[in-house]
Amino acid sequence: MFLITCPYCGPRDQSEFSNAGEAHIARPTNGEELSDEQWADFVFLRTNPKGLFAERWVHTAGCRRFFNMLRNTATDEILAVYRIGEPRPQVTTAGPVTPSGEAPIGSGNDAVKVMRPGEGTE
Amino acid sequence: MSEALSAVTSDSRRRAPLAHRTAIKAMEGAASMAERAFLGKLVLRVDPAAGDAAVTGIIGVSLPTRACTSTRQGETAILWIGPDEFWIITAPDAQTSLLAGLAEAMAGLRHQLVDVSSYYTAIELAGPRARDMLMKLTTLDLHPRAFGAGQVAGSMFGRTQAVLWQVEADEAEGGPLFRLFVRRSTADYLWCLLAEAGREWGMPRQAPLAGETWQLER
Repeated sequence: MFLITCPYCGPRDQSEFSNAGEAHIARPTNGEELSDEQWADFVFLRTNPKGLFAERWVHTAGCRRFFNMLRNTATDEILAVYRIGEPRPQVTTAGPVTPSGEAPIGSGNDAVKVMRPGEGTE
Repeated sequence: MSEALSAVTSDSRRRAPLAHRTAIKAMEGAASMAERAFLGKLVLRVDPAAGDAAVTGIIGVSLPTRACTSTRQGETAILWIGPDEFWIITAPDAQTSLLAGLAEAMAGLRHQLVDVSSYYTAIELAGPRARDMLMKLTTLDLHPRAFGAGQVAGSMFGRTQAVLWQVEADEAEGGPLFRLFVRRSTADYLWCLLAEAGREWGMPRQAPLAGETWQLER
């Protein structure tokens, strides 16, 4: 549970919102010239970063408007919220992309952490 | 505000979503619940800067400019739902002429105007404990300093969505007055859940239509 600041309504509980995937995915304007691979890339392939991620949310139970958010997927820290059409804000993430000591890939949950030789051996 | 609890409509074949319920009260006037059936409800989607003149000309009050607020002119109120979406709440049967008038005034303007009177119903909740009952069901900040008379918010109440509108201030006679606009298919669920939330102040138990129990008793 965390609070999300809707750019129209203000801070509301997460349960009022729905996630709508990665932001800034532009539909190709030259659709008839694209190959199947290029279409598949537009339709299916998304970045899945551990760290800073630009994504769309919709305030389903409130104003029902879409907006963009910059979120750290490893810590759930919300760095910026901005309206559709506004440029992506330049944010500087404080600290490391992932919590200290965590593996650069895999889950943030230590219990299922992917360990590599030489990692996490204090 | 809550004088006419019985449904008023020109068409005797219409049935209110909560027609099988009667108005209920908690002990010592702590809270009361009733359905306000058949209120006229219009959804208006328009750029507020462009559509305000037409709305003011017909209704006599301008669109609310601040988020989550409302404006009111007698029986008719305009609720802010989104930056370009407004609900117009009016007396039963008054929406038909209002719709025609607004449509005429907005001709040539990019807008959408839909009559949703039968899609939603309103549960009216009043009394000094009404706010506490709502607080049990939602994550909204309902403290009086955050949510007062005239304010509007869409949120989750229990497991259903509804739009909450505070009609009367807390200092009004009989305490604050809220209206909850809920889709008719989930109206009975929300009614029973609200009654359950008021149990500690003596609200009578309401058995849900679908037969489920809230299991608050051991």
